Amino acid sequence: MTEEQRLSDELRERAVALFARSLHIRTFDSGSCAVCESEIRLLSAPHYDLHRLGFFFTPAPRHADLLLVSGAAVRAADTALRKTLAAIPEPRIVVAVGACALGGVFAPDELVHGRVDAVVPVDVYVPGCPPSPLALLHGLLVAVGRLEEKVRTLDFDLREELVG
Amino acid sequence: MLWFLRGIRRGVVTTRYPRATDAWARQLPSPPAFRSRRLTPELAARLAESCTPGALRLEGSELVLDLGACTGCGDCLTAGDDAVVPSGEFELATSARDALIKRIPIGAEG
Amino acid sequence: MSTAVAAPLEALHRAARGVEVREGPDGTVVARLPEDELRLAVAAIAETNAARFADLFGAHEEDGVVARLVYALDSAGQYLIVEAAVTDQGHPPISDDEPAAFVEECELFEQVGIRPSGDRPLNRVLLPPGAENTFPLLDGGRRSAVPRELHAPHHVRGEAFEFPFGPVRAAGWESLYMGLVTTGEEVLDLYLFHWHKHRGLERRLQGLDPARALFLVERTEGLSAVALGVAYCRAVEAAGSVVTPHSAASTRMIALELERIYNHAQAVALLCQTTGLSVGQAQAEIALEQLLRVNLAAFGHRYLFGVVELGGVRRAPDAEALGSSLPAAVDSFRRAVRALLRTNSHVDRLEACGILSGDTARRLALVGPVARACGVDTDTRRDHPWHPAAAELGVATRTAGDVLARMEVMVAEVEESQRLILELLPEARTAVVDVPRNAGMGLGWAESPRGEALAFVSLDEQGRISRARLRPASVRNWRAFDDAARARNVFTDVPIIEASFWQTVAGFAR
Repeated sequence: MTEEQRLSDELRERAVALFARSLHIRTFDSGSCAVCESEIRLLSAPHYDLHRLGFFFTPAPRHADLLLVSGAAVRAADTALRKTLAAIPEPRIVVAVGACALGGVFAPDELVHGRVDAVVPVDVYVPGCPPSPLALLHGLLVAVGRLEEKVRTLDFDLREELVG
Repeated sequence: MLWFLRGIRRGVVTTRYPRATDAWARQLPSPPAFRSRRLTPELAARLAESCTPGALRLEGSELVLDLGACTGCGDCLTAGDDAVVPSGEFELATSARDALIKRIPIGAEG
Repeated sequence: MSTAVAAPLEALHRAARGVEVREGPDGTVVARLPEDELRLAVAAIAETNAARFADLFGAHEEDGVVARLVYALDSAGQYLIVEAAVTDQGHPPISDDEPAAFVEECELFEQVGIRPSGDRPLNRVLLPPGAENTFPLLDGGRRSAVPRELHAPHHVRGEAFEFPFGPVRAAGWESLYMGLVTTGEEVLDLYLFHWHKHRGLERRLQGLDPARALFLVERTEGLSAVALGVAYCRAVEAAGSVVTPHSAASTRMIALELERIYNHAQAVALLCQTTGLSVGQAQAEIALEQLLRVNLAAFGHRYLFGVVELGGVRRAPDAEALGSSLPAAVDSFRRAVRALLRTNSHVDRLEACGILSGDTARRLALVGPVARACGVDTDTRRDHPWHPAAAELGVATRTAGDVLARMEVMVAEVEESQRLILELLPEARTAVVDVPRNAGMGLGWAESPRGEALAFVSLDEQGRISRARLRPASVRNWRAFDDAARARNVFTDVPIIEASFWQTVAGFAR
């Protein structure tokens, strides 16, 4: 592990310790189809209620700890995305949600990057099309260290003996 | 008063996640899981071809699944008969993008 | 050809020379004429008041650029396409005679490089500033000029100032830039920039196999995935002269109505958010979540992606799950609405807010609940039916044209949608027919929750897409937003009006 890596991990641990119980989230739409936004809005609805986990939406990037980005990273939104991130004081976490944001739907061209981490560094990736509010909650809890990542050890190979 | 009574009558609908996972979540679209020993090179090629989002690719003797691109559309389930089943997984968040790349060996072991 | 179609066609023949008429496979009437006659044709059709302007778009074809105007002849149940090979600055502005076409005329320039003659400034619609040199035209060609004006001319004088808002907005609201002109509280003027979300979907569809393209079409305006998917599939099916089985059409209708119901529930929840009624928002969101779970149980996806398939439908609804869970979810919605309409503090914010007149709605050719709330009796399901059950559809209209009227229209539609779903449930099946891959053109339509969604598809010899035009309702209705906002409203009314319009930026910007 390099010194840089060690410092980065340390910073992340401190950030995570700070945010675990109280986290303010700024959302950013970088060119979604509007369905990811719908699932994000439902996080504050009674069925999911992110407030019970100590999470809150904030309209002010200055008050935010976490930037939640959906959409295919349309280039026209680059400036707005970078400025929003820059306005969020460190320590901060960036979470990209949805297949568009993860590079799954749009290959890069003159209009879109096709993945959010082409514009800003991303700390946590949340797959789905759209990721359900449960998947989003999982992503947020992983981002603040309250849940362990699962996917690294998940096996999508069932192996199974051939029958007969 | 009206809203207060309405709320009380409705009761609590909030999920207990992460303490418990809701039963309905099993119906959510999920990435495929493979019975790799039933995969032949022909089937694997067909699966990769069937994947509209382009999350499934054939790379030599492996089927490569990009969970980040997978939309759970089920095209591969239809093309794969009983070699492909829904994984039922939705807790896929990770800090490493390449942790979302899964490699499935094709065919039975020797 | 029915008499109702005859009126605009007769006007066309009288006014313009060199008109060639042919009938498309889907009952669409196509009239081709020379560019010189375009102005007269548009003026003549506009005068008949028998044709609703629906779309204008260009396509690069062998002999140059062809512009197509799509008119909906609602009383005839047909669409009329007026097409002409056009050249840059070769004809006077179409929007002079058909004001509703202004945004599309600007888009025509951005997509295929065709400008009207004269020096009319063209608004920037989808092309971000500074992108003129990097973003090619649809056929990959370079553009010869750039849009001159950034936004519609407006006057800022006296004590008025311009207040920039967005594109980053409240949590879970799409990126949208609003320029508000105000003296402090009331909205004097308002303009919108949607280009932060322009993904170039129509360009991406070119060259794709039509079945693969459906994946992207659904994600153009995800909240209208079914409607846009159905419109697009019907366009491709029309191009191949394919008729889907009745059971598939019934399944498509069910999915369309489910989409309508959950969208309207969202609109009501958003209205509560904008008026600050958190308890109302919570109850509406409970209903919304229940409806999304109904979608999941019925069709395997909360937002009904992957239901429509080229040639039919990929999944049949789980009739038992749908039949048992839908009434309870709709009842949640109904009860929330009843309580809302009895909450004066909420209703007061909605009444007389964001008023649109019927004249404005007709002049701008609006569609959907936004139009119906102004007394415009237009509904694509009933007017251009492709399913027998749609013919007896009850269409709700109001005349006040304010936020409350739009909400009332949506609430009434939910009841009718539920009725239709339960009526069609017994006939719904999975069914797909083969769609041949040959050259052809077709127009498809469906009534999305926001209004008429149109799609036009042109296939090449290999059956691949050479031009796909997607026109969600959002493309039509955003243009009325500044009119609605200007009508004696204050700042805080703007989100309320936006929630009542319930369009999407994604659908407009594509």
